Amino acid sequence: MNKKILVIIPAFNEEGAIVATVRDVRSLPFSVEVLVVNDGSRDRTAAVAADAGAVVVSLPFNLGIGGAVQTGYRYALDRGFDIAVQVDGDGQHDVAYLKRLVDPVLSGLVDMAIGSRFLSDEKGFRSSFFRRVGIRFFRRLIAFLTGFQATDPTSGFRACNARLIRIFAGYYPSDFPEPESIVVARRLGATLCEVPVVMRPRRSGKSSIGRIRSPYYMIKVTGAILLHMFRDRKVYGPWTSAS
Amino acid sequence: MDIRILELSVSLVVLLFVVELVRREKLTFKYAFSWLFFSLVGVVCSLFPSIPARVAYALGFEVPSNFIFFGLLVMFVFLSLLLTIFLCQQNRRNDLMAQRIGLLEAALKDLEGKDRT
Repeated sequence: MNKKILVIIPAFNEEGAIVATVRDVRSLPFSVEVLVVNDGSRDRTAAVAADAGAVVVSLPFNLGIGGAVQTGYRYALDRGFDIAVQVDGDGQHDVAYLKRLVDPVLSGLVDMAIGSRFLSDEKGFRSSFFRRVGIRFFRRLIAFLTGFQATDPTSGFRACNARLIRIFAGYYPSDFPEPESIVVARRLGATLCEVPVVMRPRRSGKSSIGRIRSPYYMIKVTGAILLHMFRDRKVYGPWTSAS
Repeated sequence: MDIRILELSVSLVVLLFVVELVRREKLTFKYAFSWLFFSLVGVVCSLFPSIPARVAYALGFEVPSNFIFFGLLVMFVFLSLLLTIFLCQQNRRNDLMAQRIGLLEAALKDLEGKDRT
């Protein structure tokens, strides 16, 4: 692969899991650059990630997953990467699936590929019952609004191409980034697909997605998604034609 | 009469306080403008109570004081919305700067590393 691929790993207090994640990515049979965005961690995340061979960008304070991931997209845009892949720092995402995620983007089939744990035949980690109910609701909502069947809308394991990198570097939702960014991409007319992956329970740390079981959370995410349907497309930045 | 003096002094104090804050650069014009505007309206209304009274009747309020309460409420809604807009703007800029600082620090470290070899 002669395309420049960046793997963005947002990490907040992940010193326990980040080394293994960085090593897994670096031992892939093709060359990628690994960027760990240390989101204001109070532990040694930055130091251990750098020792493991990642480029580390440390934010001066915690911005949340959205702000951290966006930092990665800015880095990708500044350095002219062709593809950016998001992988969680907590070890939930098995990078053995990274190639399968990158392939449809690399071949120009889609603008963004999302790893879905609900498409896979293998069981793996599928989260709690309440969370799955929430996920099914968001799948229906997003399908209704955008026409895209996201079986795993809260999955943060995804790859996107240069024109989406450009968008996300300038505009990346910070409240509920995973489902919102799907809606943003679809509103711009991006093509998306899902790739079956197996996820593991997290190695350490706490979930950044929060408690999806609470009805309040569901209402907030629904509101955030609905607001995107009213937003002027111009706020997302210029959508360039496919290269 | 007592009430008019009270009204006048309160609105004057607010107006003078805002002016003093601007004078000492504690408030910039951008943020002071709406306060200056509303406190001036307050001073004018307490000097000439016939103005709010006439407006109140014209709008169909039965008691002028109801109109005043309504006006104050509108003012606060307007001001707090304005503050929320400023807050969001600052928040976005703050995030952007944090990201830029992080990226610049990383680039700087990278350059220093290359320099040494």
